[in-house]
Amino acid sequence: MNLRDCHLWIVIAAGAFLGALGVLLAVWGNPENSGICVSCFIENSAGALGFHENARMQYLRPELIGFVLGAAACAAGFREFRSRGGSAPLPRLVSGIFLMVGCAVFIGCPIKLFLRFTAGDLTAVAGVLGLVAGVWAGLKGLGGGVHLGSSREEGRGSGFLVPGFFLLLLVLFIARPGFLIFSGRGSAAQHAPWLLALGGGALLGALAQRSRFCITGGVRDTLLLGRRSPLLWGLLAFVAAATALNLATGRFHLGLYGQPGAHLDHLWSFLGMALVGWISVLIGGCPFRQLIKAGEGDADAGLVVVGMFIGGALVQSWGIAATAAGVSLVGKAAVLAGCLFVLGATLLFRERAPA
Amino acid sequence: MTLDRFDRFHGLLLLLVAGGLVLLLAVAESGGGRSAAGVDKAMEQALDYQARVAFVQKLYGPVEDLRRDGQLQQALLKLDELERRYPGEAHGYILRGEILGEMGVLAEAVASYVAALRLNGDYVDARSPLSRQTEIRQLVDDGLRILGGQARSHPENLSLAAAVKNVHYLQSRLAGGCE
Repeated sequence: MNLRDCHLWIVIAAGAFLGALGVLLAVWGNPENSGICVSCFIENSAGALGFHENARMQYLRPELIGFVLGAAACAAGFREFRSRGGSAPLPRLVSGIFLMVGCAVFIGCPIKLFLRFTAGDLTAVAGVLGLVAGVWAGLKGLGGGVHLGSSREEGRGSGFLVPGFFLLLLVLFIARPGFLIFSGRGSAAQHAPWLLALGGGALLGALAQRSRFCITGGVRDTLLLGRRSPLLWGLLAFVAAATALNLATGRFHLGLYGQPGAHLDHLWSFLGMALVGWISVLIGGCPFRQLIKAGEGDADAGLVVVGMFIGGALVQSWGIAATAAGVSLVGKAAVLAGCLFVLGATLLFRERAPA
Repeated sequence: MTLDRFDRFHGLLLLLVAGGLVLLLAVAESGGGRSAAGVDKAMEQALDYQARVAFVQKLYGPVEDLRRDGQLQQALLKLDELERRYPGEAHGYILRGEILGEMGVLAEAVASYVAALRLNGDYVDARSPLSRQTEIRQLVDDGLRILGGQARSHPENLSLAAAVKNVHYLQSRLAGGCE
């Protein structure tokens, strides 16, 4: 670890702000332990656009818009915005769908996994183990030659489409046309003041763009590099900031029972997060990182984002999403289908050495 | 980057169409076009919900009447009858839970609340007109104290363990979070 390395400090700042805002946004009105949860926010936003009918999960989350537009503005400001793509588009789209399946069965994305953990939720331990196992399996695959292909520069501006879509969402959020639906009850009715949510999201989007911070990336680099990995220190800063703020705001409740947005089906928590970790390694980042990369002009990540919106609608419409009661049969089947998809992709996208 | 005539023409066209779109939206807004569009899903959803609340209160009115008169067994029979006609309706389970609670059958009351919340999370939501948040909080406190204590003294009793698991479910729903 080189303390004079500017990148290290940007990573630490990104981790600390992500952990701090993850708790503070819940203090300011977001659901408990869900100050930041990319998968929950996508489910909410898909509902707001009318993609599913769960009346308790419909709200266009400004944080999501902030992540993408903050990353896009930062990338443009530092001349890093590049339209690129063209690598295995359909598998990436389907990966986005299964990322949401894994998150919905666990009830949360990798960021929320650590937010739950730092709030004392011991049911998240199965998810942490699952995420590490999934990342490890993904790394083994990469080592064995599994590769979705490299994206290439595209001069045709396809990278503007996802930031453009999120700009449109911002206009819709402000204009509030009649076809948008905002829940009046349920967890989607709980939200922080929108300017704080948008500003916080934009700040995190910009920091994540500069630092390349990502939860699964942190786990991956730690498995590869140990304590030499800057992302490990970012992850530790995240955990430290979130734990300190959870303790300071009285939101730390150590235990297995009575935890918000959690269930006791530990095997399925493990498998759900393992699926997320495994896919994230294959496609180069967790759901949060995909949003940031899409903001930088990466059309491949943009397709994952589109897949996540489809997945967000499906997990609600088909009853895949778990609840405090546990994981439904459909949810369990969906996770296993996701595992089949990843195993199939591992076989199909493997570059084998010539015999 | 040099722009030829083709680029300039299409660029100008793009600006004209964008201007037309903004103008169209501005005119529609000032002329009441928003309401004329007839698509207000939030309003439709709110109306559906209000209608449902009114229907549920009317449907279960006779049960409430029997309960007020102290005829708890008859109220439970009436609930059985309604459950056969509307098996997916959560409100019956809430009323059954309340009646069983009044009768002092704690584990069964908890199970009935759990069945209701699995069908409809509104009962734990302070913003809902159907909210039973206070009652559920009281039930969780009693459940943890009474059923939890019994389960600790009789760890071999599976029905007590199931009842405590139900209390934990209610506790988790009260804690909030995404669903």
